[in-house]
Amino acid sequence: MNLALWAAKTGLDAQNTQMAVIANNLANSNTTGFKADRAAFQDLMYQNVQQVGAQSTQNTQYSTGLSLGTGVKIAATEKNYSQGSVLQTGGNLDMSVTGHGLFQITMPDGTLAYTRDGSFSLDSQGNVVNATGFPISPAITIPISAQSVTIGSDGTVSVTTAGAPKPTTVGQIQLANFINVEGLQPVGNNLVVESAASGAPQVGTPGTNGLGTLQQGSLETSNVNTVTELVNMITCQRAYEMNSKAISTTDQMLQYLTTNLQ
Amino acid sequence: MDRGLYVAMTGAKQIMQAQAVNNHNIANASTVGFRADSVSFVSSPIYGPGYATRVNAVAGDGGTDLSSGVITSTSRPLDIAVNGKGFIAVQGANGKEGYTRAGDLRVLESGAVVTATGLPVMSETGPLNIPPSTQVTIGSDGTVSIVPQGLSPAAQSQIDRIKLVNPQPKDLQKGADGLLYLKSGGKAAADETVSVTSGQLESSNVNAAQSLVNMIELQRLYEFQIKSINSADTDEQSAERMMLTA
Repeated sequence: MNLALWAAKTGLDAQNTQMAVIANNLANSNTTGFKADRAAFQDLMYQNVQQVGAQSTQNTQYSTGLSLGTGVKIAATEKNYSQGSVLQTGGNLDMSVTGHGLFQITMPDGTLAYTRDGSFSLDSQGNVVNATGFPISPAITIPISAQSVTIGSDGTVSVTTAGAPKPTTVGQIQLANFINVEGLQPVGNNLVVESAASGAPQVGTPGTNGLGTLQQGSLETSNVNTVTELVNMITCQRAYEMNSKAISTTDQMLQYLTTNLQ
Repeated sequence: MDRGLYVAMTGAKQIMQAQAVNNHNIANASTVGFRADSVSFVSSPIYGPGYATRVNAVAGDGGTDLSSGVITSTSRPLDIAVNGKGFIAVQGANGKEGYTRAGDLRVLESGAVVTATGLPVMSETGPLNIPPSTQVTIGSDGTVSIVPQGLSPAAQSQIDRIKLVNPQPKDLQKGADGLLYLKSGGKAAADETVSVTSGQLESSNVNAAQSLVNMIELQRLYEFQIKSINSADTDEQSAERMMLTA
């Protein structure tokens, strides 16, 4: 098949994927704790049509070679784990992490998932759960008699109950960090899970071992920069148009060939 | 048979190949650190008995455009852009040391620093590896410093240095995997003068306007060749008719 057509076709494909990534980022520009994705482009294999320096006859060599590139592909999408801005909500169980570290969530199947989304609430048993209703790990239960909940910057959860002058500690929030946090596998619902690329989690108390600290009453907003995404969208659209133009031009060339030679 | 037909056919074929190179450039208009390829045509006379009247065009590598692309800010600490001339040394899939301008790096679980395409980044002594850390910083001379895991940010320690090279453009050639290699097959020496900026990426250096004009030009040239084939055919037909009527 004609390589010129296919090289341009891979460009259309890649720009299409890029557009999907941009659209997903923009759609999540208000998602708590969302981290923007980025598509990484990679040029495809080159076909060696004529090797430079190859023998053209026994005594002579080709002075020029020719390698034809075969287009482009999306090699990977990577998440940008830079800090999103922090929004004050005043919610008792709203938390944001300043610095590294993710909250641990126990999934219904017992495995752990991780998130930067710190909007927690209580279920009917007083367990601290995320917006989907999955409990935080290690589990924390707020007694029904609690009048107020305080979360310290080191993750200590304490409550005050009626009649008790001193607050009681009911749990300790722990954060997990990864060697390659960008390698975590996103699974939707603001959650990511451990993958072969991310490495094993290192769990610790907030504020220690390079982990960030917690802030009660605030949420980390999405780190999507809408201006960047819009500029990316324009670039992507123009690149798409160029590739489409390349296909139609190559098509016209072939058309010219078939209509003029018969 | 008129052999002029074959000259025009060769021309058309080579122009289509040049169009493929141009389309490949356009397809890579968004590839980080991509360097555009070009095609040059060489005239290749066909020698035989008598005077060499026919000259075929042969498309050859016109080299790689090594001019810089546009620098975009990403504010990701592991993104690096090479300032001005120079390249980042990586280990190609074939085990040889290749050079690239694509500086979107990441750290694997094993501690290996790789490019977005998964190729290990080289230090001056071998593939770059960093111990478990909570923060990685890349300095302007390629020095990698980390905050070791479990220590406070004050405990910065310098680990290694990314190998940055600046070979002569004439010594470089693009390999089948898109990396630049030394024509001699060896390794370039590290160059202290090459500097990088962290938090930035260099875009592709494909010039959109130039590629589009090039595309149109190639299209028209292709049509010329087809026209020549057509004319050769018409000439042949007229000659045949003359023979029949004579």
